[in-house]
Amino acid sequence: MASNYISYDATASNQRPQRPLLNGTRRSSSVQRTKVLFLGLRRSGKTSIQSVLFKDMPPKQTFYIETTMRITKYPIDTVVPLELWDTPGNATPESIGIPIGQFRSLIFVIDIRDLYNQPITKLVDFVTAAYQSNPDINIEVFVHKSEKLQEDDKIENFRQIQERVTDRLLDLAPEYEGVQPNFYLTSVYDHSLHEAFSRVLHKLIDSLPYLEDMLNVFCANSQSPKAFLFDTKSRLYVATDASPVDSATHNLCCDYLEMLTSFGTLYKSASASPPRHIQPTGPNAPSSSSANGTSSTSSPTASTDALPQRSRKPNKEMFYPSAATSLHPATPGTTLTYHAITSSLALLALVPTAVYEGRRGLLEYNVVFFREGVQEICDVEKETREGG
Amino acid sequence: MKKKVLLMGASGSGKTSMRSLIFSNNPASLTSRLGATIDVEQNHVRFLGDLILNLWDCGGQDSFMDSYLTTQRPTIFQQVGVMIYVFDIESREPGKDMEYYRDCLDGLRYYSPDAAIFLLLHKMDLVRDPQQALEKRRQELEEVSGDATISVFGTTIFDQTLYKAWSSIVHTLIPNAGILSKHLSIFAQACGATEVILFERTTFLVVATSSSGSGVASSAVPTYTKDGADHQLEPTRYERTSELIKAFKYTCSRVREEFHTLELDLHEFSAILDELTKNTYVLVILHDPTIETAAVKLNIRLARNKFETLQADSLV
Ligand SMILES: Nc1nc2c(ncn2[C@@H]2O[C@H](COP(=O)(O)OP(=O)(O)OP(=O)(O)O)[C@@H](O)[C@H]2O)c(=O)[nH]1
Ligand SMILES: Nc1nc2c(ncn2[C@@H]2O[C@H](COP(=O)(O)OP(=O)(O)OP(=O)(O)O)[C@@H](O)[C@H]2O)c(=O)[nH]1
Ligand SMILES: [Mg+2]
Ligand SMILES: [Mg+2]
Repeated sequence: MASNYISYDATASNQRPQRPLLNGTRRSSSVQRTKVLFLGLRRSGKTSIQSVLFKDMPPKQTFYIETTMRITKYPIDTVVPLELWDTPGNATPESIGIPIGQFRSLIFVIDIRDLYNQPITKLVDFVTAAYQSNPDINIEVFVHKSEKLQEDDKIENFRQIQERVTDRLLDLAPEYEGVQPNFYLTSVYDHSLHEAFSRVLHKLIDSLPYLEDMLNVFCANSQSPKAFLFDTKSRLYVATDASPVDSATHNLCCDYLEMLTSFGTLYKSASASPPRHIQPTGPNAPSSSSANGTSSTSSPTASTDALPQRSRKPNKEMFYPSAATSLHPATPGTTLTYHAITSSLALLALVPTAVYEGRRGLLEYNVVFFREGVQEICDVEKETREGG
Repeated sequence: MKKKVLLMGASGSGKTSMRSLIFSNNPASLTSRLGATIDVEQNHVRFLGDLILNLWDCGGQDSFMDSYLTTQRPTIFQQVGVMIYVFDIESREPGKDMEYYRDCLDGLRYYSPDAAIFLLLHKMDLVRDPQQALEKRRQELEEVSGDATISVFGTTIFDQTLYKAWSSIVHTLIPNAGILSKHLSIFAQACGATEVILFERTTFLVVATSSSGSGVASSAVPTYTKDGADHQLEPTRYERTSELIKAFKYTCSRVREEFHTLELDLHEFSAILDELTKNTYVLVILHDPTIETAAVKLNIRLARNKFETLQADSLV
């Protein structure tokens, strides 16, 4: 991860080893989707997790989800195109229909209150089925419905489940020492699910190191202590800079994104006749930020309507939505910024309010630089998927 | 100026829950930890500076209700500005609820005949067809209330309906909200804004808007703009804005930050939410792309003093 690339090197990514996915059948017409298999006992919460993450289902509504009777595949368009396979509680490696090794990740959902052996036996069956043909498969264990337990019990059960899974795998054969399952505490009722699935997703993004490098550069140049690249629709973060992720900050960003999305629909005009034209925020227009300085000289007042007009040519194509919220009334405070990067990705960054207000031009310039890099990566990524 | 606000209704109907959401910025999920209110919990809440709401959260268990209606009758029902009566829509004893309500109405008419009456059919999230349930109960309540003027709202702590009802309630307590609205609309024109909305700072309830002379009245009316284009905006936008900002304020407090300002520059519109006076926030909505948000921010700064004075006047 400590690579020094700032610009994206397409050839390097094409040559990354062990892409079991690329060995699969490949139709040039359709996008190559990365397969992810959801497993777990009946009512552990598999379908709920997928519905809350990708279908905007309110957590309470998961109560009405019916039990899954057969394998269902959902195409999901995040930064990497995924195919999620939802399974019934009684699925076995044989009943899946394709070799388990063709999945990039297995997600085991275990109810946190379920301390019996049954879920672990099932997990072990699948791991053994997958491991021979694909030793690089990601084993992700969601210890789910965690909000049901008090803090102490939660930690204790989480620890026990981890220990048992690891022990069982070791008992099986020494070669399974190499299998390193990842464990997450999750619940549909808070952001832990988004954070966990984000981490699952990161392992599936081939270009992750490049995105991370670009975020590091952005943070360094903008004095930002933390920045995330989010998939706006699912509210999963695709990448973040090298500083550690603290859950509180992650939650703040998730909530901010959610608030902005809802807010955006509220004041949309259903009847505005001409489409709203807006100034370009292209790479050559970093000076848009100087608006602060220009307008203060023309001193409009509440009683006059002599306001400075935008002189730049309107061009909707190049407009990227943005937002900012200041999180402290006094000055050494923080501002949380939002910048659309592509139609589905947004950059969320904490920046010192002094930088946001005093060095807006620099900040916007860094965003434009970042945006161009990400767009380039996405284009290459897409070409690769579509089979060039 | 103090206004007495009575919060009444059966035990468990949700009175203390809504009070903690609106006035203490607590999330709905924490209300399940609230215990039953013993007797009356009085709270003074500063609203718009000089206006102080004297909230009487009256515990709803039968024994308390009985004493409100007998020995404590004058104490409870004297000098009431607003009575809010909360009904659990899923109550197991609707008959008894109705009887207590009728008795309270009698007390109110005797001691405070001019008090405004708001009836909240609460916990609407629990019913399958809220619209139908609301209409049915509204009719019953209108019959029972006789010639008293009542305002009925369906509410739940889980969505914006609670803010709609409470904005309407506090609106009756701000005598000259119309003047604020008038000046907001002048301000909107000066900024080239489609709409300008004034919120109280801590509750984020809507105090007045530029779109209607009477403040929070019907929000479905197309709003006026300088360029003459009519904008048909989402009818529930005011209360949903309150709800969204309140929720985000809570999120900020969880990371020991304090929500301060917000600005958005989206495809469809731009918006600026900023402090206007010590007690209020203003939201300026722009659909005209030629307006610079920086200019609007400056306008807000310049309008501060004017509104500080107006707001003080609107309360006397
Ligand atoms: N408390 C709590 N309940 C949850 C959570 N996630 C799911 N549930 C509930 O768990 C129950 C089962 O959820 P499903 O999503 O149907 O579980 P499943 O694993 O798909 O079940 P099958 O399809 O029968 O195998 C539902 O009642 C959900 O509401 C959670 O995070 N916390
Ligand atoms: N489903 C649902 N539950 C609610 C709602 N509002 C409040 N509650 C729940 O109702 C229960 C009782 O709420 P309280 O606010 O304590 O009731 P109260 O009217 O103050 O009761 P007393 O103090 O005994 O008069 C709590 O568990 C709340 O979580 C709502 O809108 N929907
Ligand atoms: Mg299922
Ligand atoms: Mg109470």
